[in-house]
Amino acid sequence: MTTVPSGHSTIRDASEVPYHQRYRAAEHFRDREHEFDATKMGVWLFLATEILLFSGMFVGYGVLRMLHPEAFIAGSGHLDVHWGLINTVVLLASSYTVAAAVRCAQVDDQAGLRRNVMLTFIGGLVFILIKLIFEYRVKWAEGKLPGIFYSYPGAVSEYEPLWWGLYWGATGIHATHVIVGMALFVWIYLRAKKKHFGPGHYTAVEGVGLYWHIVDIVWIFLFPLLYLIH
Amino acid sequence: MAHNHDNPNGGENGGVDLSEEIYPPGAEYGHGHHGHTVVSPGTLIGVLVVLLLLTGLTVAFAELEAWIAGLFEITIPQWVNAVVALSIASVKTAFVVLYFMQLRYDNPLNSMIFIFTLITVAFFLGFTMIDLGMRGTIDPVKARYIQPGGTGIETRAAKQTGVPTNAPVTEIARQAALARGEYTPKEPEPVIGSTPNLSRPRTGLTLPGFTDDNGGR
Repeated sequence: MTTVPSGHSTIRDASEVPYHQRYRAAEHFRDREHEFDATKMGVWLFLATEILLFSGMFVGYGVLRMLHPEAFIAGSGHLDVHWGLINTVVLLASSYTVAAAVRCAQVDDQAGLRRNVMLTFIGGLVFILIKLIFEYRVKWAEGKLPGIFYSYPGAVSEYEPLWWGLYWGATGIHATHVIVGMALFVWIYLRAKKKHFGPGHYTAVEGVGLYWHIVDIVWIFLFPLLYLIH
Repeated sequence: MAHNHDNPNGGENGGVDLSEEIYPPGAEYGHGHHGHTVVSPGTLIGVLVVLLLLTGLTVAFAELEAWIAGLFEITIPQWVNAVVALSIASVKTAFVVLYFMQLRYDNPLNSMIFIFTLITVAFFLGFTMIDLGMRGTIDPVKARYIQPGGTGIETRAAKQTGVPTNAPVTEIARQAALARGEYTPKEPEPVIGSTPNLSRPRTGLTLPGFTDDNGGR
């Protein structure tokens, strides 16, 4: 708080104080610490449901791969490991930047917070663009589509449409989560510009960051299971 | 909180006391991060480096496995690649969860939530895989002959007794034993009050094409 030598406050009205210092926890919480802990636990419970959502896809993967391993080997051969690897690196880096963003909020580094949130958003964007341009568009054109829509002539196994259904389904749901995360980071960035976040109040950054890490973890598992079958 | 309630109607700001706005009750000021651990930048960079190295290791192992299989012309079972890749992925997940998500420094309740979610997924995946993995073992038993052509029990029984080959194994065994003279059928004792036989052909549990009755359908 700014003071003149006489010790009196020079603040004229409350809006001069940054939002994160003025922030008042909702009434039913003891204090802001309590609100932060409760919010964080709520986010973890939501992440639990997200993990279970993706576990459905993974069990489907396990079932179909066990029943038709040759279709999975053949199907995985159509995927380019290099794009998958680049996407993995991009997502890991974006996980780092969002953890750094939380740290910047904790030490009141506003510029660093904005920069890291922007970098995370760019990471997600690069992921989606690579996926759309170099993977999805190519496969759509070649007819490597799920189930009944499959029209690629060079199938090795008659169960390959099952593999493609799993590929499009798993990566599609994951990409949807990435897009939702990107929208959340736009929201966070706009709030960060208004200096809503600081050492006393960075709950939203933490929450969206946790969500983004789960999205990254899912891709960490998807990458070897889809791209590295030989 | 060290703000002064002594003179709310006089003094600076024209008598308006903004201290409640600036220092809301319940807010803790002066000690920055409220006891939240601030992970150092070095730790974050270190974890990122470890994650990237493990990613490279996953790819390197897959390529190595393929190269070895090609070089020595051996077939490495599928589960080797899957187990190794998933183990490395689990280690990477542990790093992300512990350091990036700061679960290591967090309320242990959140760790419990995460761990129990993993246990739930383990149940889901584990039981499904056990069931599916044992189908190859169970189905021949349910299909009533071990392989096309059988082990000879059914064909011998059919020759000896005229029992059709898709009859229940129990019936085949009984007829074969009768033909060999090793079985004396007894009158079954009536059981008072027993429930009727609820066994019936179950559809859908046997892979179609494995048995003559097309899996019961």
